[in-house]
Amino acid sequence: MVRNRAAVAQELRRLLPKMEGFLATQTLPFGLSAIDCCLPQGGLACGALHEVVPEPGSAALAFGFIVALLARLPRTHPLFLVTPAYGFREYGRPHGHGCQALGLEPSRLILVETAHRNETLWALEEALRSVAPVAVAGVIDKLDLKLSQRLHLAAMEAGLSLLLLRQAQFLESSAAATRWRVGPAPAAHDRFGLFARARWHLRLERCRNGRTGEWIVEYDHVAHRFCLAAALADPAYARRAGGEVLRSAC
Amino acid sequence: MLAAQAVKSSDQPVDPEQPFVLVIAASGGPRIAALNETAEAAGLAVGESLADARAKAGFLQVRPIDAAADDAALRRLTLWATRYTPTASPWGEDNGADGFFLDVEGAAHLFGGEERLIADLHSRLQRFDLLARLAVAATPGTAWALSHFHPASLMVLPSGREAEALTDLPVEALRLSPETATTLRRFGCKTVGALLDKPRAPFAARFPAELLGRLDQALGRIDEPLVPIVAPPVYHCLRYLLEPIFTQEAIVALARRLMQTLVHVLMRDDVGARALRLSLYRVDGAVETVDIGLTLPTRNVAHLTRLIDLKLEALAAAQDAGFGFEALGLAITRAEPLPARQTEFTSLAGDGNRTERCASLIDKLRQRLGPASVRRFRPVASHIPERAEVLTPVADEQPASSWPAPEQTRPLLLLPQAEPTEVMALVPEGPPRRFCWRGVTYEVADAQGPERIAGEWWRQRRSEPTRDYYFVEDTDGQRFWLFREGLYGRETASARWFVHGLFA
Repeated sequence: MVRNRAAVAQELRRLLPKMEGFLATQTLPFGLSAIDCCLPQGGLACGALHEVVPEPGSAALAFGFIVALLARLPRTHPLFLVTPAYGFREYGRPHGHGCQALGLEPSRLILVETAHRNETLWALEEALRSVAPVAVAGVIDKLDLKLSQRLHLAAMEAGLSLLLLRQAQFLESSAAATRWRVGPAPAAHDRFGLFARARWHLRLERCRNGRTGEWIVEYDHVAHRFCLAAALADPAYARRAGGEVLRSAC
Repeated sequence: MLAAQAVKSSDQPVDPEQPFVLVIAASGGPRIAALNETAEAAGLAVGESLADARAKAGFLQVRPIDAAADDAALRRLTLWATRYTPTASPWGEDNGADGFFLDVEGAAHLFGGEERLIADLHSRLQRFDLLARLAVAATPGTAWALSHFHPASLMVLPSGREAEALTDLPVEALRLSPETATTLRRFGCKTVGALLDKPRAPFAARFPAELLGRLDQALGRIDEPLVPIVAPPVYHCLRYLLEPIFTQEAIVALARRLMQTLVHVLMRDDVGARALRLSLYRVDGAVETVDIGLTLPTRNVAHLTRLIDLKLEALAAAQDAGFGFEALGLAITRAEPLPARQTEFTSLAGDGNRTERCASLIDKLRQRLGPASVRRFRPVASHIPERAEVLTPVADEQPASSWPAPEQTRPLLLLPQAEPTEVMALVPEGPPRRFCWRGVTYEVADAQGPERIAGEWWRQRRSEPTRDYYFVEDTDGQRFWLFREGLYGRETASARWFVHGLFA
């Protein structure tokens, strides 16, 4: 039987993740076809390690992206945030009312503070292996391939997503399923010219079994919904982000 | 003797074969507070002045008494004595502060009777070089009297014979103040027997209430509660070892066995452990305790063993096994109801289990990282942003679900301290146009505000200045939270600007 290229590619795409043990787990779709079609299973895989890297000076934005992802998860059980004591040292500490403003009920969040990197790794792995939380987020500086594989495996076995906020200068090759780079984008304003919604310049830098992409994403903290920025003020963004994807989604 | 023990180890060594005294500062020069046998043989006595003592004994080793060290040594020894019974109470000032009470009721049979118990205690104390006088009686008062004034150093008095035993003892045996004892002696009442069958009214009229109180306590007419050195546990399990153990693995294995013993009792009573204490009794008399708190009541041996393991690991550096541990006690200091459940059935539902898993995860994190490192936000009714919430350790209370709905935008990251910044504004009271923070100049594309937050005047005598908060976005799209401190004209002539937070 002769099969055309598209059918073979489709078949391969179906089989490949299965070999890596991905398919059994659930996903968390963004609800945006532009982004979801880049991800291998039409959404952020739940049992996997995801890295979020801020562009220089954008740690708060990257953390905001993580908080937005966490806020979209089911509310049944708490979320664990593991940070070293020096984690946000430069940029202060998470603010409960600020999490609330992004739609994440602060009482859902359990903050674990560690003294050094080994404790952070231990706490992350312990939290994943217990299969108690809905998801685990963390801040970690150095993470080599071995350790990231270990964390990824723990996340895969537990079926929980692990979102790690990384520093750009410490990046190495890692076993993460996706790597997002978050940069600033001018916020969305309402018709009175007041701040309405946060916007991020998202770049999907690495995506195993998927495609990379770049978008300006807007987050609605009330509906817990992502949407693409409707009108792009700066045409440079449109060029950079691959015009056809943006247009098709808008 | 204890005093001697406590101070011996300090500064230059003392030769125990030579006369040795501890002195206390008193009016008219230092006086002897404690002395060793050689000094006693030389004719010295407690209360003698040091000058006289020096004249009597040619060579005398003198050290000042250290009451705090004595007290600490007594507490250590009392803690060690909890290996016999959970209720051990060190003597306070009114008892002379040189010994302890043990409530051996219900514990003596474990050692083969009261005689065997005090013989064992005596031999162990001897190994620590402590000369002890021990007495067992039905009341603490009688036991005290016998231990101090009975000729035998080991004494067990059968219950109901207190009056008979006390008859020949001097009145000091009733733990009276020196003044009362002296007055009694002047009256001719030299022994306790002289007080026993006398009418009470004349004594009550002429003496402080302590006399009859102490007499009644000794005879068991009124109760004398003991204040235990550690809160007596609800459930307790103790194991003595033939050979001391050193390693963490051995301790954990033994703790697991103790827990398995306790679990049956817990199940019988339908309770689970909320707080545990593992006591490690060292061969040389020191006691190491490991306290463990739990988020939810549990009877899970594997979980509790894991927590003990984690805690010991965390303590490993600070802990000193010395010559090893000869006994291990596991006490459940707090128990809470935990109804029995069908585990197979609930594991299908999975949800109830997950709450337990969450609690056990929090327990593990707390044991390894410290109880203050696992925290949760709690809202506080305050408008000042840095006071609007606190981080509280995750404890037994349920998460507070009463977070106020956000009225104003709040930053995701709050700087620990507002950082001063240089701001250029078009008008003094207007929003910023450009600001310089941490050496970088940001051009403001959009500023929103002000949100005016007045200082909380009821907190401090000097009221804090009013703050005008602005939400500021620079041309790149970075979002900041800036405030201007002080109102122009009314509070300040030159307002200062601060960066206080970063928005997502």
